[in-house]
Amino acid sequence: MIVRVRNLKVWFSQRGGLLREMVSRGSKWVRAVDGVDIDVRRGEVFCLVGESGCGKTTTGKAILRLVDVTEGDIFLEMPEEEYARYDEAVRRGSEDPEAESAARELRRKFSLTWKERRPWTMNQYLLVAFMVTVAGLGCTAGLTALLSLAASPFADIGIVYAFSFALAIAIGVVGTLPPSRPSKRTSLILGIVSFFGWFLAPIPTFYFKGLSLSAADAIGNAWGSNFFFFILAGISVPVIAAGVAQGIAVYRLRSTEYAGLDIRGLRKRLQLIFQDPYESLNPKQSVYEIVAEPLRVNRLTKSPEETAATVANALTDTGLRPPEEFMFRFPHELSGGQRQRVSIAAGLVLQPDFIVADEPVSMLDVSIRTEILQLMMDLRKSRGLTYLFITHDLSLAWILADRIAVMYLGKIVEQGTAEQVVVHPKHPYTQALISVVPSPDPRHKASRLILKGERPDPVDIPRGCRFHPRCPVAFERCGWSPSEVLDALLDLAGDGPMATPLRAAQIDSPLSFRLPPNSGEVEAWIREQKASQAEAHLALKALRGITGPPAARRVVLFGLEPVPLVEIAPENLVACLRVQPETPPAAEIAAA
Amino acid sequence: MALLEVKDLRIEFTTQAGDVHAVEGVSFTLEEGQALGLAGESGCGKTTTALALMRLLPYNGRIVGGSIKFHGREIVKASETMMRKIRWKDISIVFQGAMNSLNPVQRVGKQIAEPILLHEDIEEEDAMKRVGDLLELVGIPRKRSSEYPHEFSGGMRQRVMIAMALACNPRLVIADEPVTALDVMIQAQILELLERLRKELNLSMILISHDLSVIADTCDKVVIMYGGKIAEAGATNEIFTDPKHPYTQGLVAAFPDIRGQRFMPEAIPGNVPSLISPPSGCVFHPRCKFAFDRCTVAEPALTDLSPSRQAACFLFPEVQEVSARPAPTPTAK
Repeated sequence: MIVRVRNLKVWFSQRGGLLREMVSRGSKWVRAVDGVDIDVRRGEVFCLVGESGCGKTTTGKAILRLVDVTEGDIFLEMPEEEYARYDEAVRRGSEDPEAESAARELRRKFSLTWKERRPWTMNQYLLVAFMVTVAGLGCTAGLTALLSLAASPFADIGIVYAFSFALAIAIGVVGTLPPSRPSKRTSLILGIVSFFGWFLAPIPTFYFKGLSLSAADAIGNAWGSNFFFFILAGISVPVIAAGVAQGIAVYRLRSTEYAGLDIRGLRKRLQLIFQDPYESLNPKQSVYEIVAEPLRVNRLTKSPEETAATVANALTDTGLRPPEEFMFRFPHELSGGQRQRVSIAAGLVLQPDFIVADEPVSMLDVSIRTEILQLMMDLRKSRGLTYLFITHDLSLAWILADRIAVMYLGKIVEQGTAEQVVVHPKHPYTQALISVVPSPDPRHKASRLILKGERPDPVDIPRGCRFHPRCPVAFERCGWSPSEVLDALLDLAGDGPMATPLRAAQIDSPLSFRLPPNSGEVEAWIREQKASQAEAHLALKALRGITGPPAARRVVLFGLEPVPLVEIAPENLVACLRVQPETPPAAEIAAA
Repeated sequence: MALLEVKDLRIEFTTQAGDVHAVEGVSFTLEEGQALGLAGESGCGKTTTALALMRLLPYNGRIVGGSIKFHGREIVKASETMMRKIRWKDISIVFQGAMNSLNPVQRVGKQIAEPILLHEDIEEEDAMKRVGDLLELVGIPRKRSSEYPHEFSGGMRQRVMIAMALACNPRLVIADEPVTALDVMIQAQILELLERLRKELNLSMILISHDLSVIADTCDKVVIMYGGKIAEAGATNEIFTDPKHPYTQGLVAAFPDIRGQRFMPEAIPGNVPSLISPPSGCVFHPRCKFAFDRCTVAEPALTDLSPSRQAACFLFPEVQEVSARPAPTPTAK
């Protein structure tokens, strides 16, 4: 195995405006990749297939650590015996603290994504020192103001100042508390907010003192009475707020860092071929500069002559012959196919052994597609490359891949050899996906299994099996929620007499909803619908029964089961409750 | 009478580098209720032909010869006022890239209603009612007409574009790469929708795609274009099962077939020719593996090989040379 991915999760936080982030409860996460396991063997072509938004590109980028990994491990060239140890340690891990620490040690040694809480850096110490100084100065100034002015007619200023000082810290803390996710901008905005807060601070102060002044008078009074303190506070208050916010932000953002396998030396060996050669090549660089850049960055060549020779070699290898003719052209002087060749040359010039190819031919015309694919396969043979090939096109996967993994909403739903996945697909999603791949032969225009609707929002992933809302063969345990069942019933009720009581139904637990009182008729109707309509509205299959006292009848649903990715035959893994290791696959394999 | 008759259409673009002969002598006919596929690589003149049918060529393009007859009416020579009446009312188009063809700051309902209000003497309220019907026809809930394009997914936007194309009950809908950049599942949904609409509304359709498999799935007739000329034309079934022209053979062979054998498809070597200085003789000869000396000097004419099949290739003895073309006479801009 060259790459092993274990329980990879990449979640992106969904950013809203500052106000919404401060108000909203709990973070929203786009769960782009949500627990993916992949093993890529040396020298093979492993295809990740799926619709857009299923997380295939994110997985590919995460393996090169081009996106921040939320959880999980990526092991690179982990020796087999070490992996066996790790595997065993993980299996025993939950009970055995020793095994757990052994697993942690192994992850630290071999995982690209191992993160650790790092000791503070000098910058962070400096920042804290600065915060302490500012706070100290602020407190001193505030106290001086309070003491010196306590007996004077300007006592108000002291109170105003103390009030705004507290306000500044409060804004700094509240503004950066979870669920908000502080960025560089946050502290600036909070500083500005507290600056304005300072202007308004006199108003409540006067209110608490029982003085009935208009807001304008209150502000005017407070400012006019002592200009020096006004300036002092007007500057220090926002600085304090921003400082506090920045401190918290730095602490929260910098608290963990990658500390496992160092990626820096490895980037040379892990390369990426991008999708669109029209976008991924810098139009201001010549082909030579594009291909030589990785060499320069990695300081791999010692002399300009060596660089030139290496670049010429890479260009020749990728079929741009003679290289001298192409070296000094700019991307706009090349055709699409030639551009993609340059892109491949730039990836190959570092002599990598693992390449993530992200839709390398989807932007190219069909007639030149094959040339690029052929080139990639030839290079695999001559250089022993391993490809993680990402594509939405199952027919491409069919002709290229040794093994295919089909992804849906951040998870792998089926994995196996090209034969297993394409010729004998087991998962309903794979079956549907294969049935709609258009074929250049019109005689094959046969039974297309077109799924309804579009993939759900990865922020709000359906529970149970992620595919169940679109699955043509879903059944009661696939994870239907009360709201899905209610929607199906409402759909059936239309504008009829049943719609009103159904709308009044209350979801009272994750597996039930409560009908309004005296709804005998509705119950009967629901039973009838389940008997007659369950095949058309699969959500109705989840109806288990209606229980409870007459005043509070509850409709209870079947429980849901987790849907693990199960090995149903050697190499073949499927995540579907309908596919069990023993029964159907064996029959099918025998038939084949 | 055929719904659409295109005869010897020739289009040129003026560019700094010289005149681009984007379309050179394209002819085809389309019957009522039929679907015609225009296929070919990028830069072969598919979209240009389609735009010419509605006389929507960009400022530097012009029709230099030939005729386009829609219901017997000549479109090449029609006045601009006449064209305004024909556009959308008789011929409408679903543009390439639904992401970019909708106005991002206008509600989709209003955008769909616009052509209805322009073409028909109708109250805005009734027009909006019709918009609701159209949206339901393409499978979008009526109430979404008050949303903005960014609230729709790619597939939904494409549905909106289709609803918009159907707004004035046209006889002919041109779909320019309607499913490019969509996922296979969404692609299947859209193609199914187009086919359903075609049957329900008895529409004629011209489907433009670089993806032969999309055309194989939906069209009755196919025209394969290369370098601004028709390489081969005929009934879909025949073309895909028994391609005659080497270019068509190459295109069909270049597609991986998920239901077929597992092997690397064949490539067509070389690149699409420059249309400013096209190769002499047959445009395809520099890439053709069967090319012989006649191909480099003489241009093959599109000839009937059988009643339902035409090809332009000297491999077939009945194919003759193209007779000299008349000098370009600018007829319309």
